[in-house]
Amino acid sequence: MSQSAKRVRSHAKRSESFKSWLIMLPGLVLMTFFVWEPLFESIRMSLYKTRNVELVRFIGLDNFVSVVGKDDFMQALLNTFSYTFWSLLLGFALPVILAMLIGETRRGKGFFRTAVYLPNMLPGLAVIILWSAFFSGEKSGVFNIILMRLGIPAQTYLTHADWVIPIIILIATWKGAGATALIYMAGMAGVSPELYEAAAIDGATVWHRIIHILLPSIRKLAGTLLILQIISVFQIMYEPMVLTKGGPDNASLSLMQLMWQYAFGGSMNYGKASAVAVIVTLILLVMTAIYSYFNRKESDWD
Amino acid sequence: MNKLVKSLSLLLSLCLLLSAVPAVFAESDEVVDANLTCTLTLGNWPPDTAAQAEKDLFEGYKATMAKQYPNVTLVPDYYSYSLSNYVPMAKGGTAPSIFQPPFTDPQLLISQHLVGDVTDALKQFGVLDKFSPSYVEMLADENGRIYGLPRDGYVLGMHLNLDLFRQAGLVDDEGLPIYPKTLQEMAEYGKIIKEKTGKAGLVFPASETYGGWLFTNIAWNFGCVGESALEYQDEDGRWVCNFTSPECVAAMEFMRDLRWKYDILNVDATTTDWASAHTLLGTGEAAMNFAADDSVDQPTSNKGLPVEDFALIPFPAGDAGRYALAGGTCYMFAPNITADQGIALMAYLKVIGKLPFLDDQIIAGMRADYAAKRDRGAPVLPAISAWTDEEYNAAKQAIIDEYCNVDMRLYNDFFDSINEGTITLKSEEPVFAQQLYRELTAVIQRMITREGADVNKALRQAEESFQEYLDDEINDI
Repeated sequence: MSQSAKRVRSHAKRSESFKSWLIMLPGLVLMTFFVWEPLFESIRMSLYKTRNVELVRFIGLDNFVSVVGKDDFMQALLNTFSYTFWSLLLGFALPVILAMLIGETRRGKGFFRTAVYLPNMLPGLAVIILWSAFFSGEKSGVFNIILMRLGIPAQTYLTHADWVIPIIILIATWKGAGATALIYMAGMAGVSPELYEAAAIDGATVWHRIIHILLPSIRKLAGTLLILQIISVFQIMYEPMVLTKGGPDNASLSLMQLMWQYAFGGSMNYGKASAVAVIVTLILLVMTAIYSYFNRKESDWD
Repeated sequence: MNKLVKSLSLLLSLCLLLSAVPAVFAESDEVVDANLTCTLTLGNWPPDTAAQAEKDLFEGYKATMAKQYPNVTLVPDYYSYSLSNYVPMAKGGTAPSIFQPPFTDPQLLISQHLVGDVTDALKQFGVLDKFSPSYVEMLADENGRIYGLPRDGYVLGMHLNLDLFRQAGLVDDEGLPIYPKTLQEMAEYGKIIKEKTGKAGLVFPASETYGGWLFTNIAWNFGCVGESALEYQDEDGRWVCNFTSPECVAAMEFMRDLRWKYDILNVDATTTDWASAHTLLGTGEAAMNFAADDSVDQPTSNKGLPVEDFALIPFPAGDAGRYALAGGTCYMFAPNITADQGIALMAYLKVIGKLPFLDDQIIAGMRADYAAKRDRGAPVLPAISAWTDEEYNAAKQAIIDEYCNVDMRLYNDFFDSINEGTITLKSEEPVFAQQLYRELTAVIQRMITREGADVNKALRQAEESFQEYLDDEINDI
């Protein structure tokens, strides 16, 4: 190749690279301004004694020690894991089941797809307020009206420390399961029809098709959605904040809500709030790393 | 400490009265100061959804200001204060020039340098010597510089739903309620009401910080004052949390009994907040609610309880006496206001009738304000001014008497207890009250949701937590 051809090619490559960067520039600027800068500022703030948002003096890890040493942190941490547990129990399989059922539907598929997605289109706060009317312990609560019609005495729901997290997760699942189901349906649509035909020729039942074809086909997608679900549930905040205010007796207090309380709940301690935020980030990073490790290993085996 | 308590008591008595300094606008065409040039952003401006009369009133204020101070530009701002959204606005330079925080927050905002100094402007308007020294203490820093003005005040008592009292047979021959004079009677009457009507005897909002806020009143009546106060400064000046005193333990045991022994509380107390408590009383789901004279419109005109089915009584006494919280709302100012803006803000407060000046327009405005209140079915009640100007206070009271729309026999005991001093008025706990309330609310929630919960253990945990907070924030340990 001649020198001039090389030069032309190199110039074209540089030009292409420049254009690529130009296209990315707005995104990078926005990411820097709205994501990275606040992230690093939050880490920095967690290492300082603060007066509202001002940094007063560097105190190392004191904010972390103080936050972690408090009962409400441990309670919030356990609650957050409890949210995650209940979310996986109540909410992980449901979208898969919904997707399978809708996938098997012969008529009105579009209607069912819209129907399951509909709750996701409602504003989050409206959903919580709506469900609070159902779970009200007053005799005017919707569930209590039904119970009383059946001759069962009215019950209280949100004042039970053991019930409150499952109830919140139930509501969150009601709102979010449809959207996840749509993603699964997209994944299921990618499964080759030939596999089903071959299975049918071999006399496989519906159950066998699900176990041996469908589920293995969406395993990777399910893994990704699993980690996304854990990350999402770990950041749960407005649901308990609106429905129970973190009560009773901190039984539904989440880590993100604790962070909010430090910053905006009357003490204006942004340093400690940042410390909680950093801790949550670290926990999620560890979880993501574990998932990535096993995911990579699995890919290697494949 | 004694000085603090005394001054707080004084504050409370004045604070109470203040609630109805009315909205007014003078239609004076006279230019007061054409040289004053600045821009003010005015928080709490009525939104588009507000009643037309209210919007017209504020437009009237604006027009008056434009005539009297032609070079002062007023920019309406719908901002309604909350601690959580104020800090970023103040630090970002976007806080409105004037806003309205409750009396729980001024000292916190002053200590965090988040509000503006208006001492010189107050002096210039000649009102610095007309409001109570107690207000100065609440709205000033340690150097005596002043950062706010009182807007209105309240005293905590108890709202009653008389319909439920009647159904329970708790009325005398004249149809007046046989109401609880003591906390013990409150528990017993509540039980009667629950048994006879099936409705909650007492609505107790035990969510967020509300539960702790109300509980401090109960605790005072059990003796958590003076040396047994919930928080105090020791000889070294260190702030000490004191939740484990025998008095506080007894008060918390009483709270527990309200749920498990008397069973008079509303069922969802841990998710009930201030607004829903009013709703429950106003809609006949509860018979009693700890609430103040400034919120009598909530269960009545807002929730439909007829004024003849509503009464306001003094806070029930405990074994250690009768105490009640006096609090209120104040005006405070953005941290970056200039001297000219300070003067313009005082001028604006004068125009809207929040400074102790009287003229025909102000009196007409007072009348309009109380007439509107009466017309929408809210009780028009006596009010106590925070200002010491006797002529001003007398004029206001005369107008209130003119528009009074209730049977005062249902309110007299409440106001008499204040005027005759049979109730001791107290301000909120002096430092980091909101955090203190949050800690106590968690304890209350445990008491009313877990039968047999250990009061001492729960209070000890809360005390340790709040002490750590005090050490960190104020004791600098």
